[in-house]
This record gives sequence, C-alpha cells and structure tokens, in this order.
Amino acid sequence: MHASSPHRILIGKAGLDGHDRGAKYVAHILRDAGLEVIYTGIRRTPEELVAVALQEDVAAIGISLLSGAHFTVVSRVIELLKENDATDILVFLGGIVPESDIPRLREMGVACVFGPGISARVIVETLLDAIEKTPHSSL
Amino acid sequence: MSKSTFDIEEARRRWEAETVAPALERREERRARFATVSGLPVERLYTPSGDDGKYAEQLGFPGEFPFTRGVQPTGYRGKLWTMRQYAGFSTAEESNQRYRYLLEQGSTGLSVAFDLPTQIGYDSDHPLAAGEVGRVGVAISTLADMQVLLNDIPLDKVSTSMTINATASILLAMYIVAAQEQGVDAGQISGTIQNDILKEYIARGTYRFPPRPSLRLTSDVFAYCSANVPRWNTISISGYHIREAGSTAAQEIAFTLADAVCYIEAACAAGLNVDDFAPRLSFFFAAHTDLLEEVAKFRAARRLYARIMRERFDVQNPRSAMLRFHVQTGGVTLTAQQPQNNVVRVALQALAAVLGGTQSLHTNSMDEALSLPSEDAVRVALRTQQIIAEESGVANTVDPLGGSYFMEELTDRLEAEAKVLLDKIEERGGVVDAIESGWMQAQIEQSAYEFGQAVESGERVIVGVNRYQSEGENPIALFQPSAEAATKQVQRLHQVRAGRDNTRVQKTLTALETAAASDDNLMPFIIEAVRAYAGIGEICGALQKVFGEYTPV
Amino acid sequence: MTISLETLVGQARGNDAVATRAAAKLMSVLENEPQRLPEFLRAAGAETPQPRLILGITGAPGAGKSTFSDALIGEYRRRAPAQKIGVIAVDPSSPFSGGAVLGDRVRMMRHATDPHVFVRSLASRGQLGGLTLGVKGVLRVMGLIGADVVLIETLGVGQSEVDVARVADIVMVLLSPGQGDSVQLLKAGLMEVGDIIVINKADRAGADELHRQVLGALKLQQGTAKRSVALVSSTEKSGFEELLNRIEDHGALHPQRRRENDIGDIREAILEAARRRIIVRLKTEPTLHAALERVARGGEDAESLVQLLLKDGDAPST
Repeated sequence: MHASSPHRILIGKAGLDGHDRGAKYVAHILRDAGLEVIYTGIRRTPEELVAVALQEDVAAIGISLLSGAHFTVVSRVIELLKENDATDILVFLGGIVPESDIPRLREMGVACVFGPGISARVIVETLLDAIEKTPHSSL
Repeated sequence: MSKSTFDIEEARRRWEAETVAPALERREERRARFATVSGLPVERLYTPSGDDGKYAEQLGFPGEFPFTRGVQPTGYRGKLWTMRQYAGFSTAEESNQRYRYLLEQGSTGLSVAFDLPTQIGYDSDHPLAAGEVGRVGVAISTLADMQVLLNDIPLDKVSTSMTINATASILLAMYIVAAQEQGVDAGQISGTIQNDILKEYIARGTYRFPPRPSLRLTSDVFAYCSANVPRWNTISISGYHIREAGSTAAQEIAFTLADAVCYIEAACAAGLNVDDFAPRLSFFFAAHTDLLEEVAKFRAARRLYARIMRERFDVQNPRSAMLRFHVQTGGVTLTAQQPQNNVVRVALQALAAVLGGTQSLHTNSMDEALSLPSEDAVRVALRTQQIIAEESGVANTVDPLGGSYFMEELTDRLEAEAKVLLDKIEERGGVVDAIESGWMQAQIEQSAYEFGQAVESGERVIVGVNRYQSEGENPIALFQPSAEAATKQVQRLHQVRAGRDNTRVQKTLTALETAAASDDNLMPFIIEAVRAYAGIGEICGALQKVFGEYTPV
Repeated sequence: MTISLETLVGQARGNDAVATRAAAKLMSVLENEPQRLPEFLRAAGAETPQPRLILGITGAPGAGKSTFSDALIGEYRRRAPAQKIGVIAVDPSSPFSGGAVLGDRVRMMRHATDPHVFVRSLASRGQLGGLTLGVKGVLRVMGLIGADVVLIETLGVGQSEVDVARVADIVMVLLSPGQGDSVQLLKAGLMEVGDIIVINKADRAGADELHRQVLGALKLQQGTAKRSVALVSSTEKSGFEELLNRIEDHGALHPQRRRENDIGDIREAILEAARRRIIVRLKTEPTLHAALERVARGGEDAESLVQLLLKDGDAPST
C-alpha cells in the first residue's frame, strides 16, 4: 500500500442491538484522524462484515457489540477471515465488553478492545499502531 | 404603554374556583398544611404581584392551558409522582415469580421488558436470535410463553406496562388472549404499551417494517383499543432514546413532539376523533444533569404541545392538550469510572424531573450502565426519589422555579428552538420523510459528535473521566443469560409447534396476509393467529411479505 | 512480501475469495497510484473486457441515490441473475483531515454476500469534482472481474456531475420532490449532463409537480440529445422495470465517449506519473531544488528548469 494513502477501516454493529451512537462516533474520530471508514450500520452478520471487508480492502474490521454473543461473533469473523486467507485484516471491538473476557478475545485474535470512556486519541493511536505493526504485502 | 387589564389576583381566584376546587374534590392534598423544615408556610402557588399579561400567555396556572406550570392543579401536594422502577428478567418463569411476589407485597403495577428477538419479531430459535434470547428481557415467541409469564396473575386487578414497539400489536394480542383464557374480558384489562415505532428508526434501532405500514399498525391498535380495550394506554411517545443517542434538549422536545404529530395525523386519517384518543397519549423523556435546562425543557415541552394540540388539531377536550410524561434519568450520563459519582448525578437528574413536574420517574442505579444493578444500588436509587419527596421540600408547592428570570428565559428559548426544528421537519414533508432521508438521524449524530468533541477537548468536563480521575478498577459484569434458560425456551417453542394445529395456524397467517394488503384493522387477525399459537416470527413473516422490511439509512 | 500486479490480475480473474481480495487490492493500487494504470493494462492484456454498460447516478444529497442504487441492483439481479454488477460509491473526503466516512454501502447491505455484486466505496480525496483518475482505474478492475454493468454513484455536488458524464455511458440525474434545490439543479445546467432525469419518491406529494417542471425545462433545452424523464419509487421498488428497459434500449448513448475515455485515461495516467516523479525530484535533488528557489525569487526564468525536468534522463524511480 502506498505510504501516504489513508488506511481503510470497516465499522459495523453485530447482534440485534440498535444503539449505534458509539460506533458512529468512532467512525467520525477515525475520519478526523485521516482514515477512510466504511460504515455498515447495525444488525450485521459475521458473513456480511467479512464479505465487505474483502471487497473494500480494509486494514481492520471494527465490531461494535452490546451482546452476549461477542465470543460467537468474533470467532465466526476470525474463522471467515482464515477461510478467505485474510488474517492480515485486524479485528477490533468496541462497546461494552467485560474486562474479564478480554484475554480470551485476544487469544482468539482480537487486536484491541475499546471500552466505554476511552479517549479518541487513545483509540486512534492504538489502532494505527496495530495496523502499522501488521505485515502487509507491498505491491 | 397602556395599563394592562390583566389582574393577576382575580385570575388566581378564578383558577382556584374553577380548576383547583374540582381537583381537591377528586383528591385532597396530602396534608392540611405544607411548611418548610423550619416551619415557614408554603403555599400552593407563587406568582408575580403584578403582570403585563405575559404571565397569562406564557405561564398560566397549573392544570390550565398552556400548562407550562404543570398539568395537575395541586401538583405533588395532591399526589406524588409515581416511583416506577422497572427491571427486566430473562425467563417467563422468573418474571412470573417476581410478579407474584410484588403483588403479595401490595404492588399493583407490573412491568415487562422483552428480549431483542421478541422486540424485533424473531422466534427464539431464529439464527439472528443467537446470544440474544433472554438477554435484555423475557423471551416471548408464542402465546404459551405469555401464559407462563402471566400464570395466576389476576389480570383484572393489575396494570401492566410493556416496553415493546415494533411488535406491540402482537404482544398486546397475546395479553388479551391470555386474559380471555382467565375469564377476564378485554374491557377489564389495563396497562401500557410503548408502541412508539418512529423513535426506533430515529434512535433505538428495534424496528422491523418500514414506517408507513408501521404507522398503519399503530393506528389499528389505537382504533381497536379505543373500541375494545378502553383502559389501555396505547402509546408512550419517547424522547428518552433520542436524547440517549446524543440529541440536544431542544431536539429531544422537537423530535418527540414531531413524532406525536405524526401519530395523531395517522390516527385521524384512519378516521379516529382526536379527542377520543389524545387524552390517552403519554410521553417519556430523559433527565440529564444540567438541572435548570432540564426543568426548562419539561416546561417548554408542555407549553409547546398544548399550543400544537389547540392550534393544529383544534382539540375540544382540555385533557387532550395535557402533556403527561414519565421520566428516566439519563443512562448515557453515567460513568464507568468512579460509579459512586453516579448517585449524585441521578439525584440531580431526579430533582430536575420533579421540579419539572413529571408524572412518574425511574431513577437509574449507580452501576446500571454496565451491569445488572446490585440490590444495594437499586435501593439507593429508590431512596433518592423518596428523599426528594419527603425531605427536600420541593414537592410542597407547584412549579417552584416558575418566575425565575433564568428559568423563564430558558423555557422560552427551548420552546423557540424546538419550534424551529418542528418547522424544518414540516418543510421536509413530515417525520417519515425526515426519517427516510436520514435527516433526523444526521442531526442527532452531529449533536453527539459535537458533544464527544467537547469532552475530548476538555471543554465539557465529566468528573472522573476527563477531570478528577482516579486509579482503580471499573469492573464491568455483563449479564449473561444462562445457556440453560435459552435452551429451555427453544425447547418449549418446538413443543408448541409440534403440538398445535398447524393447518389452523397457516389459515390464520394467510388471513393476516390478506388483511395486511387491505384496509382492515389488523388486530383481530393478529389475535386469531396468536390464539392458534402462531409464533411472533411467523406473524411478522406474514406481515413482512406485504409490508417489506425496513432498511436503514 | 511483494506481489506483482500480474499475480493479482491473474488471481482476480478467478471466482473465489482470493479473486475478490485480489480485485480489491488492485482497486486500491489504482486508487492510490493512478499513474500505474498503463502497467495494469499491460498486465491485464488487450483482451480484458470492459463493463458493457456504465451508469452514472448523480443528484443532490438527500435525493436518495444509494437507495436508488440498491433498488437498481435488485432489478438487475432479478433480470440477469448470472451477470455481475459493480458499484462505485463516492463520498466526500474531509477537507481538514483528508479522512472520510463512506456510508453509501449501508443502503446496499442486502447484496453484501451476493457474489455477483461487487461494491467499492471511494472517498473523493480532495478532487472537488469527486471523480478521480483512480475511479477510472477501479472501473477497469470491475471490467477485469467481468462486471456487466457498473453503477457509479457520485457526490452530488457541482463539478462531479460533469465528470460523471465523461465516464458513464448513461447519466441518470436523480431528483426528488420536496427538495427545494431540485429547481436550482435544473437551472444549473444539470439538464445538459443527464441522459435520463429520474424522479425518485414518485409516490410522494410534489412528484407530479416536479415532473411537470422537468418536462418544461426539457422543452426549453436546445440540442439534439435524447433526454427523457422516468419516475420511480426506490422504497416501493416501482418503476424500475420500465427504467431498466429504457436504459437497455438506450444502450451506450455515447460510444465515442468510451474511445475518448480510453485515450484520455492513459494521457491522465502519464501526466500523473510525470507529476509524481517531478515532485520527488524537486524535493530530493539539491540542484533542482536550488533552481526552484531561484525561479521563485525571480532570479531565473522557469523555462530552463522545465527543460531540465523534461529531460528526465537518469531520474530515480518513485
């Protein structure tokens, strides 16, 4: 990827919950940091998220969750990324995720988990850092 | 300037004779005499000593148009606001146990929260329901679940509030049938359904069908209940979720009232007389921490609504112009950091709601934003209301902040701002167009963004978050419904499907589909499908064939 | 690891997830480094198909472009289930940060897992017109993967409408009732750009009035261009069968546009390549940079500097 081109990030909400204020806000702050955010709205299935991520050549998928199913959703997304030979696409989570679940999520392959009240600056820095550390093929 | 002919003393005497006296007849004040803690007498109402006419036009008297100062002539001196704390339980069995306990303890009001699949119209075994069954409320797929929920509950003696929107007609139908099976006629049951689909598109996200067919369903419920279930409150028009999504106070008023106008117009277009259903309309707002703005917000909302009802809908029944509302303290204002601070926030917010004249109030627990509240936290939340009621003195007089220079200025400003927004919505062709074009959502998104930016920059301080932070853990414990409970629910569902007369179910669904494509009131058809043990998913599936599914902007 | 464009092109021709990803990466390359278009064309070869039909969809924000696209895709899927459709959805980049929120996809999510529909969201990246050379590269990749029809959804403001005309075979201008600026758009010369004026939300109040206004404006138009008006409702999904019939009947209205476009694209790619190289040289070669400063101070004329740059001799690669 060309060094000066903006990173592309996918953001969507999984599960049936419709509170998208946080997801929309993160989309805005990433835009303010110079990234391009493909925002896909609520009620997204893992299949939809991965299909879009592949088509849009994103560096990371951000899943906003307020659901008891974060393990199910995350494992399915990671499974699909593996199947599609796209494990260089990072997965990060936002929303309400119990801290005690984070170690297991990271083991599954989640790069970062952003809980409530985290500042925009921290989100942007953490994400950019994770993206830049991931090896990408150069063209 | 000519001398005003408005004599406030005379007006006051008239108010006391025409409005207060009948109210006292219906219900005495709680005490013969109200006083401050030091013994100073506190009167029912305080007014300016002289007036140039602005008082009459902008404030008026409590219980009289434009209701700025409240809808009850005696305020809380007659009756305190209802302290309505609700909680959700995951299984029909658990909920039923809790209801029976509450009834034994003397409560007469029940409240039901439903899980997201039920709210959106998916049966508990639908793929999209995975991980959601029983999580934020009870799972109801068929009449069988409703029967378990209401088992041994005397439905002619209790009032049940159901927080349900897209599928309100179906849950109400189930309630009606369950009652009938108890021998209780629809005319005897009482309760409320939230039934406010417009705010789902705007802010909450639990919609199913597109706006226009959804409005038809709403009107059908109004009409059916008006004729058959007269003691049922058929809608609670909500600004709470709009505020939670990030709107300003003025947007909260405007978008809620715009929704109200839309519902009223839909009902009138369906042939109902506005005075027949308007008195049963109720509202639901948030209370945030800018205390004085919130009080002004409630006052402005009352006045604006009253004017709309009179000028636009020409209501004849004075009760049709009264904005009656429930308030919940704003969940989004609570912080994960230093949760004890939230007790203070909730207290200020509750105070705002009371000073603003709310009819009923739910106070959040300090940890409610992050986990199932502990019993202690729940008790503190209730005590907050009780302390305000008994110890603070604010309930001793009506609209105590009325007449404050700041309060009246704020009230005027909020009303004016809300009115501008209402006009903008009109220009865009009304609420449905404003929703379908994404305009309303964009307004809220922008307000949320601006607020977030102000917090980032520190311009807006959130104590414990961007100032006065402290070290320490902020444990979050998400409620996980037991896998067992979800399995049990699905098992019951399968048993129901196996044991019912499937031919009959199909017939009712076909009839429903046909009715949906016509102008018929859908409630009787939904009731028949429910009676045959059709699942909520099957009923919504039939409706979706005609209505389509809403895709958001 | 370095992957060559050739490899990606080969992968993109397949029918699996690898193909999708390869196509997506190719699109990124051509978006980020549009001057590599000739390199792509060589890798893809002369026989590489181009989309049969390129439909431009333009109109003011709020006219309902994305919902319209969604309905149009649905109609095409119904009509030709074996054919692929491409969508290029452009949203504005923030002039302050250079970032963007690309939200058009939200309205097309029902096609997200349909392997016959390939949607690419693009940010305008500072091009006021909204359509960049990069978009043209993305369009080529759509051809490579066999897209029969490609929809290009533009920003909907100003210059971008004209740019669409240069790229699309048929340009649809979307208007909707109740938008005060519909009339402004009509007046602002949009009529010259649009081949089909589509009135969306035909079921709403004001649609008939708008229809009359548009017909009136068309009558006043000069020129022999074939223009027509269509009425649809994207939410009711009505009017699309007729619209598609009309589109297919029109066919490529401007076949010479395609030929002009091909040559134009290469020219722009070459200019872009030259521009980038020159920028690098001016930054990194001290003698050149010094010459630049002298010209800036008025001490030298630019001509010799230009000559020097054009010689390009043993210029370092970018």
